[in-house]
Amino acid sequence: MIGNDIVDLALAQKESNWKRKGFLGKIFTRNEQLLILNAKNPDVMVWNLWSRKEAAYKIYNRQTNIRGYFPLQLECFDLEILDGIIFGKVIVKDFVYYTKTAVSTEFINTIAVERLQDFASITTLENRKNIKKNNEIPSYFEKNIISTKPVSISHHGRFEQIVTL
Amino acid sequence: MDKKETIEKLKNIVKPYIKNQEAFENLSESTDFITDLQINSANLVDIILDIEEEFDIIIDNQSMERMLDIKSALEIIETKVSEK
Repeated sequence: MIGNDIVDLALAQKESNWKRKGFLGKIFTRNEQLLILNAKNPDVMVWNLWSRKEAAYKIYNRQTNIRGYFPLQLECFDLEILDGIIFGKVIVKDFVYYTKTAVSTEFINTIAVERLQDFASITTLENRKNIKKNNEIPSYFEKNIISTKPVSISHHGRFEQIVTL
Repeated sequence: MDKKETIEKLKNIVKPYIKNQEAFENLSESTDFITDLQINSANLVDIILDIEEEFDIIIDNQSMERMLDIKSALEIIETKVSEK
């Protein structure tokens, strides 16, 4: 299982005003709001946490087939920086997902997996060839192979990322 | 307030965030905010906040959870307005 999310920071700044009254409270738990307000760069922390929630939601949606809008129930924990990459966990109801987030000046990108060892098997696909969606959930079909691989696609502004396991 | 009026208000709220003009023009109760109108999921919060302001209601987390299409949005607005 895999989920990803990419945020084009320039577009996010244009599209969303997270300082709007009520905005943070509908999306972020109290602890997450503290992380944002105490961050050196609150703008980046907003999209950093948001991209984790989105990536984790994609796995949750694939596993349970439940669609919904419940960002407060996807809570980010245990943020840890190793070699410039931010690792963490997102907890959704009874599920725990592991996240890996890269932050650049242009974009923020999170990949979420079910098991830590899955990080080693992630591959990026260059195009949508052989990808089919079922119930809006994409999978990769290899020629002559019956089993499929889970795929996650994220597109925002100037950036697109397609990942598989 | 009748349903027609509510739909018109809702359309005005949603309009700035849509990415698919055609789906917006053919909007019906079954139109999905994300898969049809291709609204960015971060902007769904803006729509929820705009609805709260426009109709002077509070959308609790449980209602927000199913705020994915026009039909649910209308139901939630109707319920919350009647509870006022």
